[in-house]
Amino acid sequence: MATGILPKEAAVFFVPLVTLLLGLLIGYLAQRSGYCSIGGFRDYFLFRHTRLLSGYLTLIVAAFVGYLIFWFLTPAAMEHFFWAFTSGPATPIPGAPGGLNTVAYLIFSVIPGFLVGFIAVLLGGCPIRQTVMASEGNYKAAWFFIGMCAGSILFAALVSGWVVALMKALGFGV
Amino acid sequence: MLRDEYSNTIRSTLSLLSRHPAFLGALIGILAACSQALLISAGGPEAYGFCVACHTRDMVNGITNIVAHTDLALAAISKNSLLPVLSVAGVLIGGYIASTFHREHKIRKGTKKEYFIYFIAGVLVLNLAMIFGGCPYRAALRTGYGDLTAVLFIVAMAAGVILGAYLMLKKAEKEAV
Repeated sequence: MATGILPKEAAVFFVPLVTLLLGLLIGYLAQRSGYCSIGGFRDYFLFRHTRLLSGYLTLIVAAFVGYLIFWFLTPAAMEHFFWAFTSGPATPIPGAPGGLNTVAYLIFSVIPGFLVGFIAVLLGGCPIRQTVMASEGNYKAAWFFIGMCAGSILFAALVSGWVVALMKALGFGV
Repeated sequence: MLRDEYSNTIRSTLSLLSRHPAFLGALIGILAACSQALLISAGGPEAYGFCVACHTRDMVNGITNIVAHTDLALAAISKNSLLPVLSVAGVLIGGYIASTFHREHKIRKGTKKEYFIYFIAGVLVLNLAMIFGGCPYRAALRTGYGDLTAVLFIVAMAAGVILGAYLMLKKAEKEAV
Protein backbone atom coordinates (compact mmCIF):
# COMPACT_ATOMS: atom_id res chain seq x y z
CA MET A 1 0.00 0.00 0.00
CA ALA A 2 1.42 3.31 -1.09
CA THR A 3 1.74 6.03 1.51
CA GLY A 4 1.91 9.70 0.66
CA ILE A 5 3.03 12.77 2.58
CA LEU A 6 -0.33 13.11 4.37
CA PRO A 7 -1.46 10.22 6.59
CA LYS A 8 -4.66 8.47 5.55
CA GLU A 9 -6.92 10.26 8.06
CA ALA A 10 -5.81 13.67 6.73
CA ALA A 11 -5.69 12.61 3.07
CA VAL A 12 -9.35 11.52 2.95
CA PHE A 13 -10.25 14.99 4.18
CA PHE A 14 -7.98 16.86 1.75
CA VAL A 15 -8.84 14.90 -1.44
CA PRO A 16 -11.89 17.01 -2.44
CA LEU A 17 -10.19 20.25 -1.43
CA VAL A 18 -6.88 19.72 -3.23
CA THR A 19 -8.51 18.38 -6.41
CA LEU A 20 -10.98 21.28 -6.45
CA LEU A 21 -8.15 23.83 -6.24
CA LEU A 22 -6.14 21.95 -8.88
CA GLY A 23 -9.23 21.94 -11.13
CA LEU A 24 -9.81 25.66 -10.61
CA LEU A 25 -6.26 26.48 -11.69
CA ILE A 26 -6.38 24.13 -14.69
CA GLY A 27 -9.81 25.42 -15.74
CA TYR A 28 -8.70 29.04 -15.54
CA LEU A 29 -5.53 28.47 -17.58
CA ALA A 30 -7.28 26.13 -20.04
CA GLN A 31 -9.79 28.88 -20.79
CA ARG A 32 -6.98 31.40 -21.35
CA SER A 33 -4.90 29.14 -23.59
CA GLY A 34 -7.58 27.14 -25.44
CA TYR A 35 -5.83 23.98 -24.26
CA CYS A 36 -6.88 20.86 -26.16
CA SER A 37 -5.15 17.55 -26.80
CA ILE A 38 -7.25 16.49 -29.80
CA GLY A 39 -6.98 20.01 -31.25
CA GLY A 40 -3.20 19.75 -31.06
CA PHE A 41 -3.05 16.73 -33.34
CA ARG A 42 -5.76 18.21 -35.61
CA ASP A 43 -4.02 21.57 -36.04
CA TYR A 44 -0.72 19.89 -36.72
CA PHE A 45 -2.24 17.59 -39.33
CA LEU A 46 -4.31 20.28 -41.10
CA PHE A 47 -2.18 23.43 -40.79
CA ARG A 48 1.19 22.32 -39.33
CA HIS A 49 0.46 24.54 -36.29
CA THR A 50 2.40 23.32 -33.28
CA ARG A 51 1.01 25.62 -30.57
CA LEU A 52 -1.63 23.30 -29.10
CA LEU A 53 0.38 20.16 -29.79
CA SER A 54 3.25 21.60 -27.76
CA GLY A 55 0.88 21.77 -24.78
CA TYR A 56 0.07 18.07 -24.95
CA LEU A 57 3.64 16.94 -25.57
CA THR A 58 4.85 19.14 -22.71
CA LEU A 59 2.29 17.46 -20.47
CA ILE A 60 3.78 14.02 -21.20
CA VAL A 61 7.33 15.20 -20.54
CA ALA A 62 6.33 17.20 -17.45
CA ALA A 63 4.43 14.24 -16.04
CA PHE A 64 7.57 12.09 -16.38
CA VAL A 65 9.76 14.78 -14.81
CA GLY A 66 7.23 15.42 -12.02
CA TYR A 67 6.86 11.75 -11.13
CA LEU A 68 10.66 11.34 -11.29
CA ILE A 69 11.21 14.26 -8.89
CA PHE A 70 8.61 12.99 -6.41
CA TRP A 71 9.96 9.46 -6.79
CA PHE A 72 13.25 10.80 -5.41
CA LEU A 73 11.56 12.90 -2.72
CA THR A 74 8.82 10.52 -1.56
CA PRO A 75 9.54 7.03 -2.94
CA ALA A 76 6.72 5.51 -0.84
CA ALA A 77 4.09 7.52 -2.74
CA MET A 78 5.42 6.45 -6.17
CA GLU A 79 5.29 2.73 -5.43
CA HIS A 80 5.42 1.44 -9.02
CA PHE A 81 7.41 4.13 -10.81
CA PHE A 82 8.64 3.40 -13.56
CA TRP A 83 5.65 1.15 -14.31
CA ALA A 84 7.09 -0.71 -17.32
CA PHE A 85 10.10 -1.86 -15.23
CA THR A 86 8.26 -2.68 -12.01
CA SER A 87 5.09 -4.27 -13.39
CA GLY A 88 5.92 -5.52 -16.88
CA PRO A 89 5.79 -3.66 -20.19
CA ALA A 90 2.31 -4.76 -21.32
CA THR A 91 0.30 -4.35 -18.10
CA PRO A 92 -1.82 -1.23 -17.74
CA ILE A 93 -2.10 0.94 -14.59
CA PRO A 94 -5.43 -0.04 -12.96
CA GLY A 95 -8.46 1.99 -13.99
CA ALA A 96 -9.99 -0.14 -16.74
CA PRO A 97 -12.41 -2.99 -15.83
CA GLY A 98 -10.45 -5.79 -14.16
CA GLY A 99 -10.15 -9.55 -14.59
CA LEU A 100 -8.92 -9.73 -18.19
CA ASN A 101 -5.63 -10.73 -19.79
CA THR A 102 -2.92 -8.64 -21.44
CA VAL A 103 -4.26 -8.91 -24.99
CA ALA A 104 -7.63 -7.55 -23.84
CA TYR A 105 -5.95 -4.46 -22.37
CA LEU A 106 -4.01 -3.89 -25.59
CA ILE A 107 -7.35 -4.01 -27.47
CA PHE A 108 -8.79 -1.66 -24.82
CA SER A 109 -6.01 0.82 -25.63
CA VAL A 110 -6.21 0.76 -29.40
CA ILE A 111 -9.95 0.67 -30.20
CA PRO A 112 -11.18 3.23 -27.61
CA GLY A 113 -8.19 5.45 -28.40
CA PHE A 114 -9.02 5.50 -32.10
CA LEU A 115 -12.73 6.11 -31.50
CA VAL A 116 -12.19 8.80 -28.86
CA GLY A 117 -9.89 10.65 -31.25
CA PHE A 118 -12.32 10.25 -34.14
CA ILE A 119 -15.45 11.36 -32.25
CA ALA A 120 -13.73 14.21 -30.43
CA VAL A 121 -12.23 15.74 -33.58
CA LEU A 122 -15.64 15.76 -35.28
CA LEU A 123 -17.07 17.61 -32.25
CA GLY A 124 -14.17 20.07 -32.23
CA GLY A 125 -12.50 19.30 -28.93
CA CYS A 126 -11.35 16.80 -26.33
CA PRO A 127 -13.25 16.39 -23.01
CA ILE A 128 -11.45 19.24 -21.23
CA ARG A 129 -12.03 21.65 -24.11
CA GLN A 130 -15.74 20.73 -24.11
CA THR A 131 -15.94 21.27 -20.34
CA VAL A 132 -14.28 24.67 -20.63
CA MET A 133 -16.51 25.65 -23.57
CA ALA A 134 -19.52 24.65 -21.49
CA SER A 135 -18.36 27.02 -18.76
CA GLU A 136 -17.96 29.75 -21.41
CA GLY A 137 -21.66 29.47 -22.23
CA ASN A 138 -21.65 27.04 -25.16
CA TYR A 139 -24.86 25.01 -24.86
CA LYS A 140 -23.70 22.26 -27.22
CA ALA A 141 -20.62 21.64 -25.08
CA ALA A 142 -22.82 21.73 -21.99
CA TRP A 143 -24.92 18.92 -23.46
CA PHE A 144 -21.68 17.02 -24.09
CA PHE A 145 -20.84 17.40 -20.40
CA ILE A 146 -24.34 16.25 -19.38
CA GLY A 147 -23.80 13.27 -21.67
CA MET A 148 -20.56 12.48 -19.84
CA CYS A 149 -22.39 12.62 -16.50
CA ALA A 150 -25.14 10.31 -17.76
CA GLY A 151 -22.50 8.07 -19.33
CA SER A 152 -20.67 7.64 -16.03
CA ILE A 153 -23.74 6.17 -14.34
CA LEU A 154 -24.48 4.06 -17.43
CA PHE A 155 -20.88 2.78 -17.47
CA ALA A 156 -20.87 1.80 -13.80
CA ALA A 157 -24.36 0.24 -13.91
CA LEU A 158 -24.24 -1.60 -17.26
CA VAL A 159 -21.45 -1.06 -19.78
CA SER A 160 -18.46 -2.18 -17.70
CA GLY A 161 -20.23 -5.47 -16.96
CA TRP A 162 -21.13 -5.96 -20.62
CA VAL A 163 -17.58 -5.26 -21.80
CA VAL A 164 -16.05 -7.71 -19.31
CA ALA A 165 -18.63 -10.39 -20.20
CA LEU A 166 -18.02 -9.86 -23.91
CA MET A 167 -14.24 -10.08 -23.58
CA LYS A 168 -14.53 -13.21 -21.39
CA ALA A 169 -16.87 -14.81 -23.95
CA LEU A 170 -14.27 -14.06 -26.64
CA GLY A 171 -11.64 -15.87 -24.55
CA PHE A 172 -9.69 -12.95 -23.08
CA GLY A 173 -10.45 -13.76 -19.42
CA VAL A 174 -7.71 -14.58 -16.92
CA MET B 1 9.75 54.74 -13.64
CA LEU B 2 12.14 51.83 -13.76
CA ARG B 3 9.99 49.97 -11.26
CA ASP B 4 6.92 50.44 -13.46
CA GLU B 5 8.80 49.07 -16.39
CA TYR B 6 9.83 46.02 -14.40
CA SER B 7 6.32 45.36 -13.19
CA ASN B 8 5.01 45.80 -16.74
CA THR B 9 7.53 43.28 -18.03
CA ILE B 10 6.58 40.82 -15.31
CA ARG B 11 2.89 41.33 -16.00
CA SER B 12 3.19 40.88 -19.76
CA THR B 13 5.39 37.80 -19.31
CA LEU B 14 2.84 36.27 -16.94
CA SER B 15 -0.01 37.05 -19.32
CA LEU B 16 1.94 35.53 -22.21
CA LEU B 17 2.74 32.42 -20.14
CA SER B 18 -0.85 31.97 -18.96
CA ARG B 19 -2.01 31.99 -22.58
CA HIS B 20 0.50 29.41 -23.80
CA PRO B 21 -0.66 25.77 -23.78
CA ALA B 22 2.84 24.46 -23.04
CA PHE B 23 2.85 26.31 -19.70
CA LEU B 24 -0.42 24.64 -18.68
CA GLY B 25 0.87 21.27 -19.90
CA ALA B 26 3.96 21.59 -17.70
CA LEU B 27 1.82 22.72 -14.76
CA ILE B 28 -0.64 19.80 -15.03
CA GLY B 29 2.22 17.29 -15.19
CA ILE B 30 4.06 18.64 -12.14
CA LEU B 31 0.89 19.25 -10.06
CA ALA B 32 -0.50 15.80 -10.86
CA ALA B 33 2.69 14.25 -9.48
CA CYS B 34 2.51 16.60 -6.49
CA SER B 35 -1.10 15.67 -5.72
CA GLN B 36 -0.24 11.96 -5.91
CA ALA B 37 2.64 12.48 -3.46
CA LEU B 38 0.26 14.28 -1.11
CA LEU B 39 -2.88 12.17 -1.36
CA ILE B 40 -2.00 8.60 -2.36
CA SER B 41 -2.59 7.35 1.21
CA ALA B 42 -6.31 7.86 0.63
CA GLY B 43 -6.23 5.13 -2.05
CA GLY B 44 -5.15 4.29 -5.59
CA PRO B 45 -4.86 4.11 -8.49
CA GLU B 46 -1.51 5.61 -9.37
CA ALA B 47 -1.06 8.33 -12.03
CA TYR B 48 -4.55 9.61 -11.22
CA GLY B 49 -3.72 13.28 -10.61
CA PHE B 50 -5.93 14.73 -13.32
CA CYS B 51 -8.39 13.12 -15.73
CA VAL B 52 -11.56 14.61 -17.13
CA ALA B 53 -13.34 11.31 -17.82
CA CYS B 54 -12.39 9.41 -14.64
CA HIS B 55 -12.87 12.39 -12.35
CA THR B 56 -16.30 13.10 -13.88
CA ARG B 57 -17.19 9.46 -13.29
CA ASP B 58 -15.96 9.65 -9.68
CA MET B 59 -17.73 12.93 -9.00
CA VAL B 60 -21.09 11.87 -10.48
CA ASN B 61 -21.08 8.32 -9.12
CA GLY B 62 -19.71 9.37 -5.73
CA ILE B 63 -22.34 12.03 -5.22
CA THR B 64 -25.07 9.68 -6.52
CA ASN B 65 -23.89 7.07 -4.02
CA ILE B 66 -24.12 9.59 -1.18
CA VAL B 67 -27.49 11.05 -2.22
CA ALA B 68 -29.32 7.95 -3.44
CA HIS B 69 -27.47 5.28 -1.35
CA THR B 70 -26.47 3.36 -4.49
CA ASP B 71 -23.24 1.40 -4.91
CA LEU B 72 -21.86 2.56 -8.27
CA ALA B 73 -18.21 1.72 -8.97
CA LEU B 74 -15.58 4.43 -8.51
CA ALA B 75 -11.86 4.70 -7.82
CA ALA B 76 -10.58 3.86 -4.34
CA ILE B 77 -9.33 7.40 -3.72
CA SER B 78 -12.87 8.76 -4.14
CA LYS B 79 -14.54 5.87 -2.33
CA ASN B 80 -12.42 6.34 0.81
CA SER B 81 -12.61 10.12 0.89
CA LEU B 82 -15.11 12.43 2.51
CA LEU B 83 -16.24 13.58 -0.95
CA PRO B 84 -15.09 12.25 -4.34
CA VAL B 85 -12.45 14.12 -6.38
CA LEU B 86 -13.86 17.46 -7.49
CA SER B 87 -11.36 18.57 -10.13
CA VAL B 88 -13.96 18.65 -12.95
CA ALA B 89 -16.19 20.95 -10.87
CA GLY B 90 -13.04 23.04 -10.41
CA VAL B 91 -12.46 23.13 -14.18
CA LEU B 92 -16.04 24.31 -14.75
CA ILE B 93 -15.79 27.06 -12.12
CA GLY B 94 -12.27 28.06 -13.21
CA GLY B 95 -13.32 28.31 -16.85
CA TYR B 96 -16.37 30.36 -15.84
CA ILE B 97 -14.27 32.76 -13.75
CA ALA B 98 -11.68 33.18 -16.53
CA SER B 99 -14.28 33.76 -19.26
CA THR B 100 -16.32 36.23 -17.17
CA PHE B 101 -13.23 38.08 -15.98
CA HIS B 102 -11.95 38.55 -19.55
CA ARG B 103 -15.42 39.27 -21.00
CA GLU B 104 -15.42 36.14 -23.14
CA HIS B 105 -18.49 34.55 -21.59
CA LYS B 106 -21.10 34.34 -24.31
CA ILE B 107 -24.21 32.18 -24.62
CA ARG B 108 -23.99 30.17 -27.82
CA LYS B 109 -27.06 28.11 -28.60
CA GLY B 110 -27.49 25.26 -31.07
CA THR B 111 -30.39 23.29 -32.48
CA LYS B 112 -32.15 20.44 -30.65
CA LYS B 113 -30.58 17.98 -33.10
CA GLU B 114 -27.09 19.26 -32.26
CA TYR B 115 -27.79 19.00 -28.53
CA PHE B 116 -28.86 15.38 -29.04
CA ILE B 117 -25.72 14.56 -31.06
CA TYR B 118 -23.47 16.16 -28.45
CA PHE B 119 -25.27 14.32 -25.63
CA ILE B 120 -24.84 10.93 -27.33
CA ALA B 121 -21.22 11.78 -28.14
CA GLY B 122 -20.64 12.63 -24.47
CA VAL B 123 -22.04 9.26 -23.38
CA LEU B 124 -19.92 7.46 -26.01
CA VAL B 125 -16.67 9.31 -25.26
CA LEU B 126 -16.98 8.73 -21.52
CA ASN B 127 -17.70 5.03 -21.93
CA LEU B 128 -14.86 4.53 -24.41
CA ALA B 129 -12.46 6.48 -22.20
CA MET B 130 -13.47 4.44 -19.16
CA ILE B 131 -12.94 1.16 -21.04
CA PHE B 132 -9.35 2.27 -21.54
CA GLY B 133 -9.25 3.74 -18.03
CA GLY B 134 -8.62 7.40 -18.77
CA CYS B 135 -9.13 10.36 -21.05
CA PRO B 136 -6.27 11.80 -23.19
CA TYR B 137 -4.90 13.56 -20.07
CA ARG B 138 -4.64 10.50 -17.91
CA ALA B 139 -3.14 8.71 -20.91
CA ALA B 140 -0.40 11.36 -20.90
CA LEU B 141 0.10 11.00 -17.15
CA ARG B 142 0.23 7.21 -17.47
CA THR B 143 2.79 7.54 -20.26
CA GLY B 144 4.90 9.72 -17.97
CA TYR B 145 4.50 7.11 -15.22
CA GLY B 146 5.84 4.43 -17.55
CA ASP B 147 2.70 2.65 -18.79
CA LEU B 148 3.34 1.55 -22.38
CA THR B 149 -0.32 0.70 -23.13
CA ALA B 150 -1.05 4.42 -22.72
CA VAL B 151 1.47 5.17 -25.50
CA LEU B 152 -0.59 2.84 -27.68
CA PHE B 153 -3.74 4.79 -26.75
CA ILE B 154 -2.14 8.11 -27.73
CA VAL B 155 -0.93 6.73 -31.08
CA ALA B 156 -4.38 5.27 -31.81
CA MET B 157 -5.98 8.57 -30.78
CA ALA B 158 -3.71 10.50 -33.16
CA ALA B 159 -4.70 8.09 -35.96
CA GLY B 160 -8.39 8.64 -35.16
CA VAL B 161 -7.90 12.40 -35.17
CA ILE B 162 -6.11 12.28 -38.53
CA LEU B 163 -8.92 10.21 -40.08
CA GLY B 164 -11.58 12.57 -38.68
CA ALA B 165 -9.70 15.69 -39.77
CA TYR B 166 -9.16 14.17 -43.23
CA LEU B 167 -12.90 13.50 -43.60
CA MET B 168 -13.66 17.07 -42.46
CA LEU B 169 -11.17 18.40 -45.01
CA LYS B 170 -12.76 16.35 -47.83
CA LYS B 171 -16.22 17.55 -46.83
CA ALA B 172 -15.10 21.19 -46.77
CA GLU B 173 -13.48 20.81 -50.22
CA LYS B 174 -16.67 19.26 -51.62
CA GLU B 175 -18.75 22.15 -50.26
CA ALA B 176 -16.33 24.74 -51.66
CA VAL B 177 -16.62 23.40 -55.22
